[in-house]
Amino acid sequence: MIRRGFSLLWSTFIWVIMIFTLLWTLFPMYWMLSTSLKDNLEVFNVNPSLWPNAPTLASYVNLGEGLTPIPTFFMNSVITSVFTVVLAVSLAVLAGYALSRLRFRFRKTILMGVLVTQMFPLVVLLIPLYLVYVKAHLLNSYIGLILAFTSFTLPFGIWMLKGFIDSVPVEIEEAAMVDGCSRLQSMRLMVFPLIVPGIVATGVFAFLDAWNNLLFPLVLVNDVLMKTLPPGMILAFGGEFKHDWSGMMAASCLVSIPVIIVFIVLQRYLVDGLTKGAVKG
Amino acid sequence: MWGRFKNTVLSTENGEDNSTKLAALLIAPALAVMGFIIVYPLLEALWLSFFNYQLTKPDEYAFAMAQNYGHMLKDDVFWIALKNTVFFTFATVFIGLLLGLLMALAIDHIAERFASIRGLILIPWVVPGIVVGYLFMYMFDVEVGIINYFLLKANIISKYLPWLMKEDLSMIAVIAAHVWNQAPFYMLMITAGLKAIPDDVKEAAYMEGASRWEEFCHVTLPYLKGILVISSLLMIIRNFNNFPIIWTMTGGGPVYATTTSVIYIYREAFEQYNLGYASAVGVVWVAILLIVSVVYVRSLQKDF
Repeated sequence: MIRRGFSLLWSTFIWVIMIFTLLWTLFPMYWMLSTSLKDNLEVFNVNPSLWPNAPTLASYVNLGEGLTPIPTFFMNSVITSVFTVVLAVSLAVLAGYALSRLRFRFRKTILMGVLVTQMFPLVVLLIPLYLVYVKAHLLNSYIGLILAFTSFTLPFGIWMLKGFIDSVPVEIEEAAMVDGCSRLQSMRLMVFPLIVPGIVATGVFAFLDAWNNLLFPLVLVNDVLMKTLPPGMILAFGGEFKHDWSGMMAASCLVSIPVIIVFIVLQRYLVDGLTKGAVKG
Repeated sequence: MWGRFKNTVLSTENGEDNSTKLAALLIAPALAVMGFIIVYPLLEALWLSFFNYQLTKPDEYAFAMAQNYGHMLKDDVFWIALKNTVFFTFATVFIGLLLGLLMALAIDHIAERFASIRGLILIPWVVPGIVVGYLFMYMFDVEVGIINYFLLKANIISKYLPWLMKEDLSMIAVIAAHVWNQAPFYMLMITAGLKAIPDDVKEAAYMEGASRWEEFCHVTLPYLKGILVISSLLMIIRNFNNFPIIWTMTGGGPVYATTTSVIYIYREAFEQYNLGYASAVGVVWVAILLIVSVVYVRSLQKDF
C-alpha cells in the first residue's frame, strides 16, 4: 500500500509524546519500588534521591515482623483469588455455552440481565448482604468471599466466553454428534480446546477482580486473621502508621507484583479477549 | 437423520423442549450465585430503604414510609456527594479518554519493533486500586511528595502545596490518580479500533490529498466512534461506583470535598450504622445508574 511519509519533524513529535507517555506511566511505579528500598531517614530527605543511596530490604523484612500479619493476608488473598478463578471459570463456561449454542425462552433477557448486574454499585448490595452473611454464618469465611468475588466477575466472564464460543463453527459439533458424541461430550472434546484463550482471559480477569477487591473483604471480614491484602493494608497503614512511607511502598509492591506478573505472562490472551468484541462494531 | 442432529445443535424452534432443559441446567449454577449475591440483596435494599433501621438503635426499627427519601431532599451532604460524583466521573473519563487516544495514535505511528512498549504502558491498568491510592497519596504528600518537588523545581508553583488537605486541590489529585490508572484501558480499546480501519481507506484519503488532520477527522474518528462511545459509557459506570482509590487517598475529605456517593453510602451504612437511610441513598443511586445502563445496552445492541 501507499503510505504517508514520515517527516523528521513528525517522527520527533511522535517520540516526544511516547517519551512523555512512558515517563507518566512508569515513573510512579519506579518511585514505588525505589521508595520501598530506602530506609525511613532517606525517605524524608529534602532533596529526594532517584535511586536509594544504600538500597535495603529492611522494609520488606519488617512487613513480616510487624504487628499486622501481612504474610497471613497474602495467603488469604492467594486462596480466595485462586478459588474464585476456578469457580468463576467453571460457571461462566457452562452458562456461556448455553447462551451461545442453545435457543430457549428468556435467552436475550438473561444476557441483558447479566450485563446490567455488572453496573450495580457494590456498596448498595453490601448492606443487605452483610445481614444475610450474618444469618448464614458466612462472615469471616473463605467461602463467603469466594462467592462474593465470583458473582461480580461472572457477568464479564459469561459474555466473554459466549463470544468465544460463538466463533467456533457449529459444523464441528454437528460432525461430532453424528459420530455419536453426546452434547456434553462434544462440548468438552470439541469446543473447550478451541476456546482456551477465552478461558485463560476469563481466569485472568477473575484473578484481578478478586485480588484487587477492597469493599467485600472490608465489610464481610472483621476477623484480622481472615483479611485479604487490600483491607489488610488499610489496617496496617491507616491511622498512626501513615508515615511509614517505605513500609507502605514495600507492601504496595508486594500487592502489585503478583498481578503484574500474571498480566505480563498472559497479556496476549487478555488483550485479545478484551478487544475481540470491541472491534466487531 | 442429519436434519435431527442439525436441529439439536442449532436448536431451532422444534428442538426447544430438550435444549431448554439443558440450558436451564447449564445456566442455573451461575444464576444461583448471582441471585444470592446480587439480586436478592438488591431487592432487600429496596425493602430496607422504607425502614428506620439503625444498628445502634435496634428498638427504633420500624416501617418509615418515605421518610428516608424525604430526608434525602434536605440532606446537604447527599447533594454535595451527587455533585462530586458527577464532576469526578466526567472529568476522569474525559481526560482519560483524551490521553488514551493520544497514546494510541502515537503508538500506532511507531515502528512495529517497538510494539512491546504497549505492554509496558498497560501495566497501571492492572495495579490494584488500593496501591494506586496509597502511591498517589505518597506522591501528593505536602512534605515528601515528589510531585511538589518537581513542580517547584519547574517553577510552576512557588511553595509546596497541601494537595490532599485543601478542598479545591484534593479533587485534582484524586482525578490524576484515576486517570493514571485508567488511560491504558482506553489506549488498548482504541488501538484495537485503529487496527480495524481498512488500509485502503487510509490510502485513499492520502491519495485524495487529505492532510493528516483531515484524515483523522473524516476517516479515523468515524471508525472509532463505536469504541469511544462504548468504552466511555463503561468507564462512566465504573467511576460512578469507584471506591478504593478515593477511600485510601482522602477517605472522602477534606470535609466533603472528595466524598462521592459510594463513599457517602459506605460511611452512612458502616460507620453511622444508618442502614435504612444508606439503603435509600443506594436505591436512588441504582435508579440513576439504571438510566445510564439502558443507554449503554442500547448502544451495544445498535453496534453489534
